[in-house]
Amino acid sequence: MEKKYWKGVEELQNDAEFVRLKNNEFYENLPLDELVSKKAEETLTPRRDFLKFLGFGVAAASLAACEAPVRKSIPYLIRPEQITPGIANYYASTFSDGYDYASILVKTREGRPIKIEGNSLSSVTKGKVNARVQASVLSLYDNNRLQGPTMNGNPADWPAVDKAITDKLTAIAAKGGKIRILSSTVISPTTLKVIEDFSKKYPGTKHVQYDAVSFSAMIQSNKESFGVNGLPSYSFNKANIIVGFECDFLLNWISPVEYASQYAVTRKLDNGRKEMSKHYQFESALSLTGSNADFRTGIKPSQQLSYIMALHNAIAAKAGLAAAGSSSVDAKQLEKLAAELWTNKGKSLVVCGINNIAAQNLVNSINVMLDNYGNTIDVDTTCYLRKGNDADLSELLSEADKGEIGALFFYNCNPVYSLPAGAAFGNSIKRIELSVAFADRAEETASLCNFICPDHHPLESWSDAEPKKGFYSFGQPSISPLFNTRHMQESMLAWAGTPAAYHDYLSANWKNIAGAMSWDKLIQDGVYEMPAAASGKYPFAANLSSIAEEKSSGGMELVVYENAGMGNGNQANNPWLQELPDPVSKITWDNYLAISPRDAREKGWRQGNIVTIKTSSASIKAPVLIQPGQTPGTVSIALGYGRTKTGKTADSIGWNAYPLVSMRNAALTYSGAVDIQKTADEDYIFAATQSHHTMMGRAIVKETILSEYIKDPNAGNEAELFEVKAGKEILKKPVEEVTLWDEHELGNHHWGMSIDLNSCIGCGACVVACTAENNVPVVGKNEVMRSREMHWIRIDRYYSSDADPKEGEKGDIKLMEDPSDMPKVVFQPVMCQHCNHAPCETVCPVIATSHSSEGLNQMIYNRCVGTRYCANNCPYKVRRFNWFRYTDNPKFDYNMNNDLGKMVLNPDVVVRSRGVMEKCSMCVQRLQEGKLNAKKAGRTIKDGEINVACAQTCPTNAITFGDYNIPDSRLSQMWKPKERSYHLLGELNIQPNVFYQTKVRNIEEGNEA
Amino acid sequence: MNNLYRTRYFLLLISVISIMLISFQSANAQDGEALYKANCTACHAVKEKVIGPALMGVSKRRSEDWLIKWIRNSQSLIKANDEYAIKIFNEYNKTVMTSFNLKDEEIKAILAYIKTEEAKPDATAAPVASGTTGAPVEEKPIWPWLLAAVVVLYLLSGILRRVQETLSTAVRQKQGIAEPAPTTNWKKNREWIRRNKKLIAVILILLTIVGSVKAWYSLQAIGISQGYNPDQPIAYSHQLHAGEMGISCIYCHSGAERGKVAGIPSANVCMNCHKYVKKGPVTGTEEIAKIYKALDYDPDKGTYGPNTKPIQWVRVHNLPDLAYFNHSQHVVVGQIACQTCHGPVQDSMTVAYQYSPLTMNWCITCHRETKVKMAGNGYYNDLHKKMMNSNVPDSMITVEKIGGLECARCHY
Repeated sequence: MEKKYWKGVEELQNDAEFVRLKNNEFYENLPLDELVSKKAEETLTPRRDFLKFLGFGVAAASLAACEAPVRKSIPYLIRPEQITPGIANYYASTFSDGYDYASILVKTREGRPIKIEGNSLSSVTKGKVNARVQASVLSLYDNNRLQGPTMNGNPADWPAVDKAITDKLTAIAAKGGKIRILSSTVISPTTLKVIEDFSKKYPGTKHVQYDAVSFSAMIQSNKESFGVNGLPSYSFNKANIIVGFECDFLLNWISPVEYASQYAVTRKLDNGRKEMSKHYQFESALSLTGSNADFRTGIKPSQQLSYIMALHNAIAAKAGLAAAGSSSVDAKQLEKLAAELWTNKGKSLVVCGINNIAAQNLVNSINVMLDNYGNTIDVDTTCYLRKGNDADLSELLSEADKGEIGALFFYNCNPVYSLPAGAAFGNSIKRIELSVAFADRAEETASLCNFICPDHHPLESWSDAEPKKGFYSFGQPSISPLFNTRHMQESMLAWAGTPAAYHDYLSANWKNIAGAMSWDKLIQDGVYEMPAAASGKYPFAANLSSIAEEKSSGGMELVVYENAGMGNGNQANNPWLQELPDPVSKITWDNYLAISPRDAREKGWRQGNIVTIKTSSASIKAPVLIQPGQTPGTVSIALGYGRTKTGKTADSIGWNAYPLVSMRNAALTYSGAVDIQKTADEDYIFAATQSHHTMMGRAIVKETILSEYIKDPNAGNEAELFEVKAGKEILKKPVEEVTLWDEHELGNHHWGMSIDLNSCIGCGACVVACTAENNVPVVGKNEVMRSREMHWIRIDRYYSSDADPKEGEKGDIKLMEDPSDMPKVVFQPVMCQHCNHAPCETVCPVIATSHSSEGLNQMIYNRCVGTRYCANNCPYKVRRFNWFRYTDNPKFDYNMNNDLGKMVLNPDVVVRSRGVMEKCSMCVQRLQEGKLNAKKAGRTIKDGEINVACAQTCPTNAITFGDYNIPDSRLSQMWKPKERSYHLLGELNIQPNVFYQTKVRNIEEGNEA
Repeated sequence: MNNLYRTRYFLLLISVISIMLISFQSANAQDGEALYKANCTACHAVKEKVIGPALMGVSKRRSEDWLIKWIRNSQSLIKANDEYAIKIFNEYNKTVMTSFNLKDEEIKAILAYIKTEEAKPDATAAPVASGTTGAPVEEKPIWPWLLAAVVVLYLLSGILRRVQETLSTAVRQKQGIAEPAPTTNWKKNREWIRRNKKLIAVILILLTIVGSVKAWYSLQAIGISQGYNPDQPIAYSHQLHAGEMGISCIYCHSGAERGKVAGIPSANVCMNCHKYVKKGPVTGTEEIAKIYKALDYDPDKGTYGPNTKPIQWVRVHNLPDLAYFNHSQHVVVGQIACQTCHGPVQDSMTVAYQYSPLTMNWCITCHRETKVKMAGNGYYNDLHKKMMNSNVPDSMITVEKIGGLECARCHY
């Protein structure tokens, strides 16, 4: 089966513009014409002037170089015992901002956190973190953060703020006024206790939790189904069949890092494993999870319930139970799935991301019938990561609307931005007597409050967290507070009249909980996990009789979703996340309205057309992006953009889609009918990393299907043969035997990497980890548009189709009928492949890139003169050129343009200047450090002791780093060219030290649902 | 006669006894010195407060009995509500004095030693008087003499020429030869140049060559600060500390064994010694006072204040940011002595200066020459075997041979 991959609609349709661009490495022409034009000739500098300037320049340069600046070196007066300058310290901590959660290790240098790594002691996040948690270290150094408390918009000091707030609270309490605390989900048991203490002091207090992306219906459904108030824990790793309904569980659903690592376990084919899970996905927009599914069915939001009902009824028929309502979906369509689920009873998992009680009840019922409770779903180990209650929220909103609230506190939430009716709520806030925000900046909500009492950043805080029942983790500050901020808990305690340092309060609380465990041990480990309770089975009690199908309006239907970088938008001002390409569309610095290619053709819309999107209650404008895989008849738009008051990086980037969310059946609903009209506005240009760096249509992602793989592990990875003339004969030889070059002599190590395309889900955590580790600059939207992004690792995303161009008709691809509407998707991380016979090395005129005896392709910045020959000659297009100086340059006003933001830089890696090439160094600073540690201890390096930043953070362990010289290292064990291992563009025989493992899909030939 | 003998005998006896007594007493004081140094100096000095009070005049302040009790067990005296004991205990921040299980005679000996010490003049002044470490004798510059010599020679040559002219005029007059037509100096010079073209060409070529070579070397030296010796906020003498006192480099620059930077010691490291060593030779006392000032430390009371001010040292060794250098790699793994790069720190360096050029050429030359100490380091086991198998003798295994010249060892 021949497959054709392409990187975008442009390539598929073979646009003239695309063809032109793909043949040019550089997106734009250099302004050479200007230089050689007539006009330039007229202004030619006379020879004498030239010599004068030359002489002056040389003299000035020599003078400037003569006097070295005096550099001060100021040691500590009293050095903290644990700090040795130049040596990193790691602190176990916890990142939790009411949205993302991870148990982490914070790497600090000379007291500055510079990198976040996962805490492998945690059995929830298992030492892995996602892109947003990786990037949170930069949010710490955001110079748009508030520097201290404010009172009515003016800077104030804490005693004054405390007095004013306490006085007002006392007055409100005396009147019997309502006091409300609105927060996103709080998973800290001690914070909940603080709120309880506060409530005791002011009895009119009620704590309302809500999630910008709500799971309220799911919690409600669990209550109806099993009498359990909360979300269950899932074990994707135990499931053979996984079914997702509009549920992006690999990227943004409840505990994505945990689920992604569990999911990967079922997808890996290491050590000769011959079975893998089968993943079905039903969704409207092409989500990251959907793109990893074996079978993906595009459904409209109005069909969601029908499909779930149909599946439910098909399984109910097998179980001999009553059907729930009648579905218009053809039962045959789901028969195969139902049968597979039924044969994998107790080893399957059906999940649903729709905030709709009926849908969740049906899914619960399906999982009960499939005997999944107690096996893949654990109701007893309640997951606390989402606790928001939409009914409570509605009540609070109406109270605020009626002006009944005396005091309102906002913790870890930004409702004016993230609620559909945020603007109206903002007006209500202005009328409230006492409104206090604990926000770190004067954002949309906080700027309307009387007081902003900024909380510490999570990396400056003491904290505890309970993501799942009995699984605790702890946070300790890894830096003294940068600004005059204060723990939210300390503020609350002070206002409750029992001021205490939060650390003391926290440790005292834990003495009660953990008993024998010492506080120091808890903090050192960062986690404390109780033995898991037995997972019980519960009788299903919800009533399914009244469930009816939704009626489609017949028009366009919209889905709003969270993407990889922004999530719900609370870290929007983080330039690393803004520049992280969307995993599927590869667009940076923007959101957009994704529309299916078919709809675009029918409506005659082009990419970049601006449209207005109207729901019954809101109307926003957004540009159109043609997205293969988007279900025809639906459109989708990402949340988290369109901030107005979060800081200079994110303000006015993208469009806020929260107004498109609606409150339906007392639940926040993230889909619905919309009216879309094209406007006459000028077309919008996206900054995408998608249509450039093409690999020219060659077979670079190798894949096969499971049944073929079982028959022959080498399936889809047949060796390339090369024709060689020997005398008059033409011999076919394996490419490895045809080479011009001599082998490199290897030393003590031979570093390499393996990338398992079967478990890479394309989430982008590695991209941000690499950015943080290697001081990769942020270049901004305009430069990304010119293909000048600097990421050392990129994740290529290819759409596939079975439609082959006929022989000799390569130019006619676009004549084929809708091939890209529902494509298969593969993700392929590409970084420098560290070729042993590297094409870049041979063309460098100044030997600024050379080969090391450890298999590394070295890039020496101070030697580079910027000819860019190497980038031209690199077949993988992984070299990045510094077109500008990205530090201290007001044109690139991101973190490297201010002293605070520069604190995140890794002092062991050079900050590159203008005019030099750079690329993945395989984290050579980590290799050198690891080697040195081994040398000092006089021992060999153990496999796994050194790890590179991308592999370290990868939630699915798709990247493996190691030493080929150790025969039993994981890497050496994985290198099986007769099975799945292959080199990218192996036909070139440039012998990369990075290799890939073929992707295996669990589908059957000819049946691709 | 007998009487005389008796008297003589008696006198002799007395003198012998008195000599014996004297010698006994001095022996007593000598024991006292040893005992004092062994037991007391950690907390006391004779003439100044350290952790405990100055001991000068202690025998006058308190009775011998009291002192013996106090030294044996100061706490029992305090418990017995001795007024003076409580007073002194409180005065010194309730620091408990260690109890010493000494005999009466030993304590008396110590007290005797203290008495002899009281009488001595200020001991710390001695080194200054001896002048051993005093300021070096200022060398008078030689150039005024040279200048004077040049002037004298010039005058002399002028005079001699005049004399010669006068004499030759006299000879011409005598022989009746006519005076030659006066020629200007300019003409003479041109004439000389016309006649000595070759010489001038040679001189010009030589000058050009010398100039070019000079220029080449001076251009090469741009950015190299070998010998850089900036003024430091504290005139710290390495020669005194590392040389005379024999303090190990690592004691202060502890980072050298552990990490990338050797580090300038923090002031608390200085205080490990300078809490007690409050005075120093030459300018030492003022310099030590600068540490106290930085820490806001009161040497009399032994207390730290809040107004600390970090010491702003001037960095002597400035490697460019593009080069990564790790001390521990060289000190621990390579077992390179500090002096290899930093020079004779302990012998002749007062305020430290940059001994080595710190150029890449210098690094590489050393990497080419230095043998790797593979034996006994488990890390190198495999590599060592591999090299032995390919017949590379140990004496040939230099840093270069194991990849020590590869770019990404230092540049990343």
